[in-house]
Amino acid sequence: MAKKEYLMGNEAMGRGAVEKGVKVVAGYPGTPASEVLEYAAKYADVRVEWCINEKVALEIALGASLCHTRAMAVMKHNGTNVALDFLMHLNYTGVRGGLVLISGDDPGGNSSQNEEDSRIITHLDAHLPVFDPWCPQEAKDMVRAAFELSEKTELCFIVRPVMRVCHARSQVSLEEITGNGKEPFFTDDRSRFIMSAVKEPEAGGVLRPVIRHRWLNKKQPELLQIMEDSPFNHVEKGEGNIGLVACGIGYAYVREAEKILGKKFPVLKLGTLPLPGDKVAGFAHRMNKLVVYEDSEPIVEGMLKELFYDRDIKVEIVGRSGFLPMEGELSTGIVLKSLAALYPELEKSVPRTAPLEIKIPVRTRTQCVGCAYRGLLHALKLMARKTHGVVTGDIGCYDAGSFLPLELQSTIYCMGSSIPMATGVAYSGTKQPVFSIIGDSTFFHNGVLGLINAIHNAVDMVAIVCDNRTTAMTGFQPHPGSDTDITGRPAVAIDIAKLATAAGATSARTVNPYNIAEVAGALEKAAKEKGVSVIIASSPCYLLGRRNGDIGFTPRKVSLNPDLCNGCKICIEYFGCPAIHFSNKKATIDQAACVECGMCVAVCQRGAIT
Amino acid sequence: MNLNILIAGVGGQGNLFASSILAEYFINQGHEVLAVETIGAAQRGGSVVSHLRISDDEIYSPLIPAGKVDIILGFETLEMLRNFQMLAADGRYLLNDYQEPTVLCNMEMDTYPTDESIAAALKKSGKKGYLIKATECAREIGDSLLTNVVMVGALCQLSPLLNRQEVKQVLAGKSPVKVREPNLKAFDAGGALVKSAMGQP
Ligand code: SF4
Ligand code: SF4
Repeated sequence: MAKKEYLMGNEAMGRGAVEKGVKVVAGYPGTPASEVLEYAAKYADVRVEWCINEKVALEIALGASLCHTRAMAVMKHNGTNVALDFLMHLNYTGVRGGLVLISGDDPGGNSSQNEEDSRIITHLDAHLPVFDPWCPQEAKDMVRAAFELSEKTELCFIVRPVMRVCHARSQVSLEEITGNGKEPFFTDDRSRFIMSAVKEPEAGGVLRPVIRHRWLNKKQPELLQIMEDSPFNHVEKGEGNIGLVACGIGYAYVREAEKILGKKFPVLKLGTLPLPGDKVAGFAHRMNKLVVYEDSEPIVEGMLKELFYDRDIKVEIVGRSGFLPMEGELSTGIVLKSLAALYPELEKSVPRTAPLEIKIPVRTRTQCVGCAYRGLLHALKLMARKTHGVVTGDIGCYDAGSFLPLELQSTIYCMGSSIPMATGVAYSGTKQPVFSIIGDSTFFHNGVLGLINAIHNAVDMVAIVCDNRTTAMTGFQPHPGSDTDITGRPAVAIDIAKLATAAGATSARTVNPYNIAEVAGALEKAAKEKGVSVIIASSPCYLLGRRNGDIGFTPRKVSLNPDLCNGCKICIEYFGCPAIHFSNKKATIDQAACVECGMCVAVCQRGAIT
Repeated sequence: MNLNILIAGVGGQGNLFASSILAEYFINQGHEVLAVETIGAAQRGGSVVSHLRISDDEIYSPLIPAGKVDIILGFETLEMLRNFQMLAADGRYLLNDYQEPTVLCNMEMDTYPTDESIAAALKKSGKKGYLIKATECAREIGDSLLTNVVMVGALCQLSPLLNRQEVKQVLAGKSPVKVREPNLKAFDAGGALVKSAMGQP
């Protein structure tokens, strides 16, 4: 019996790649996919790297692949957008060593700014093959198969797990570590690897992009045959003539629903794009209706409609275009509900749930108790109030400053948008001063270009960089500002202040965010300057620092004198440390929760906190 | 055997460690285990729910379907209430008497339900369960971070599907040397809490 290990889906995928002899794994942290890379980093002979962003990661992976080395790029769906430009070229050139791109999706937006379905850009747009696993074991099997098939077809293979597959833990079988047996060596093939609008003499002067596009299109029949034979697609017999098409995680929920209902339906389990047309048609011929369960856009549903139109198959197809919810993630509950709608007699077998008769307050996210960013956000909030300034925000722990109680940032979109959006606000003609706030990892990822653009154009704004030396939001991955890499090897830490100065910022002030007066002073000065003034709020992430014994403050006991507290709530509405509570018109400090950072002392204007 | 356990708490309470001890125990017993954590944006005091599914057959959905939870472990009161409707008709709960106010409750923009209203709602649900002071007990042992282990110890007392001694062995094996002693102490203390809640000697 094969050895088994209790692994998370992400670890299983990392393991799958290692077993297939991957030598380069590059990515950018992002929930739900981060642990893939962290798993691979345990193997000393694999070069594993957290890159500055996803595009760079994919470019690194292809560079290795062109030397016949197996390589993998890992990212979340938002990151795949960032890498898309490069993906839309490597699909034309193809690869040499097996190249796999893991694009983790987050249907339901549990930990993301959107819930997009990256099958659209990777398959419908880039025309690359996609594997969509339903469980950790299959995710691993798919990564393994993807390496082999990538080399065979010379195409980059995409594995697109959803969050529940990435984070699920189960017993996964381990196999031997092998490789492709190739010595790394680069040889030229300029007609492939020089992607340019050049006329090909041999092809009678046809432009190269057209020739490479033709090459990609010619690959499609080969892919179709591979998917037809793939173990990741199969048919299960069952009662009735409504067929359940279960794609990726949809298969888990469909089988679960069958178990609950004690019934077996005809199921077409799908795990690949392109679809295995013959298999699908064979299944559909016996059905008069198909329900497609997929996360999260109706992609397979649409492809089936197209396929059946071409093959003149008449069967009704429903799914996430409206029969099932069009937003949010699938669940067993959704499958059960849909089956009860199709077979009313099943209604009685659906488990009943009754919420408690009590109002349950929502729990919004905030920074940790003791987080340095709270002092920075507080000072910025006061500044924004005083100047009627507009604050554009970015992605990271500090983004929770946009929620209640602070409600500081006015915009949050995607990685790096804060500075360019502030630029646009400044250009609009409004007289409001503009501030942007971005974290260090996000700054390197995609913020630095916006900063250079703003400096170059002498935009009047204050750009704040929250520098806590780690990518805290996703679990403390190093970034170009860190002095070690993922394996603990020394790395060159890029100095943000020097970078801003070299780019020509009006000023670049480094402040201690725990020191509210210092931050306020810097903001005051920066707001009066012309051009881009950069403020770097620098202190280690408290949560990480507490583990490593490297926190940014000297702990001190604080107490609140109720006689001096007049109930103004500045410590709540303009600061919001979760250890400060408010009741009966007075603030109190929850000593059990307080970590003694001492920041609140400067927040209270009446001296009630000492 | 089929057993679905749901652990509801807030970031930093160590759901994952609790879930991994139970998972290892059931794997050692030869069962299938499928688990998943549902975290919002990681560690900053948000809700964390761990789903742990144990069976002799193949398990499909990593998330326990609504209405199929056999035991809910409430590490934090509000988070248990939030997930309470996941319980099966005959499901039971084990609630740690610990309340982590939300930011909005702190601000008086929202109200944390009162002990009376919680007790009334739980009573009305008709579900059986126990309220134990796990965090208080953990603090007495030396660190509120031991709450998760107290709760695991309590669960082993509640459910006959778990063998106390064997779970304790798994716990010992998974505990870093530094915290092994306090962990084992916390585990036993959890068992004692349930015993006395059940009115057993
Ligand atoms: S993880 Fe670090 S940066 Fe993020 S909120 Fe906590 S202390 Fe602040
Ligand atoms: S010292 Fe003040 S700001 Fe710091 S954790 Fe304690 S209550 Fe919160």
